[in-house]
Amino acid sequence: MTDEIMVMPEGMARLNITIEGMNGDVPDFISYDLSDGEIKTIASESVESGYVPGIEGVTDADFTDFVVDRFPATAGVAFNRLVLRPKTPFGTTLL
Amino acid sequence: MLEAAFVFDYRGSVLFWHLPSARSSGALPDSRDLWDVLWENREWLGGVAHTHPWSGRSGPSGTDLTTFAACEKGLGKRLLWPIVTFDHVAIYQWHGSNKHDYRALPEELAGLLFDKEDIERLRDLSRGRMEKEND
Repeated sequence: MTDEIMVMPEGMARLNITIEGMNGDVPDFISYDLSDGEIKTIASESVESGYVPGIEGVTDADFTDFVVDRFPATAGVAFNRLVLRPKTPFGTTLL
Repeated sequence: MLEAAFVFDYRGSVLFWHLPSARSSGALPDSRDLWDVLWENREWLGGVAHTHPWSGRSGPSGTDLTTFAACEKGLGKRLLWPIVTFDHVAIYQWHGSNKHDYRALPEELAGLLFDKEDIERLRDLSRGRMEKEND
């Protein structure tokens, strides 16, 4: 039995998604330099198709008011990470 | 004057004082740290109270409404969203006709849910009279 070592290609990243109280990583690597809009589209399609381990049964994966945090690889974490999470600002400009 | 906020549990007890360095009289900026607090406490989370630093009644801004909906979408649960001015507290909750339809609950609920000292401390933090560290 051999252990398979996964090597991330240069310029790619792991995408982590949080929605409906669930959290998971998209199995495929994606380009670290994609726009936020492109990342949200990939996330919606991945979640709604049930492709993300740990996230099940979400039919309305609307990430309009979510933000993308970008964490480049470091000495401690050897790969780029993209983290899609809800935005959290508050403001007093009334509707 | 500076906006301020606290995260509370389902009993109304304060879990976290949110006083980011970039807060202003008109806004609390997006914060990864605040999201981490919400996620880590999601099991017993009650909501987030924030100030509109003036007197009189106040409703949620467009930014507030989209933040309420986004956080609930991420957490998979509904929360309470109090807006605290210097003389009123209005607690907003999703009402159900569309994703940004949040309405105020009866005013007396705030007195039942929160410790008066926590609300006054939040107001003082908005007046800039004190800076409380999280324990």
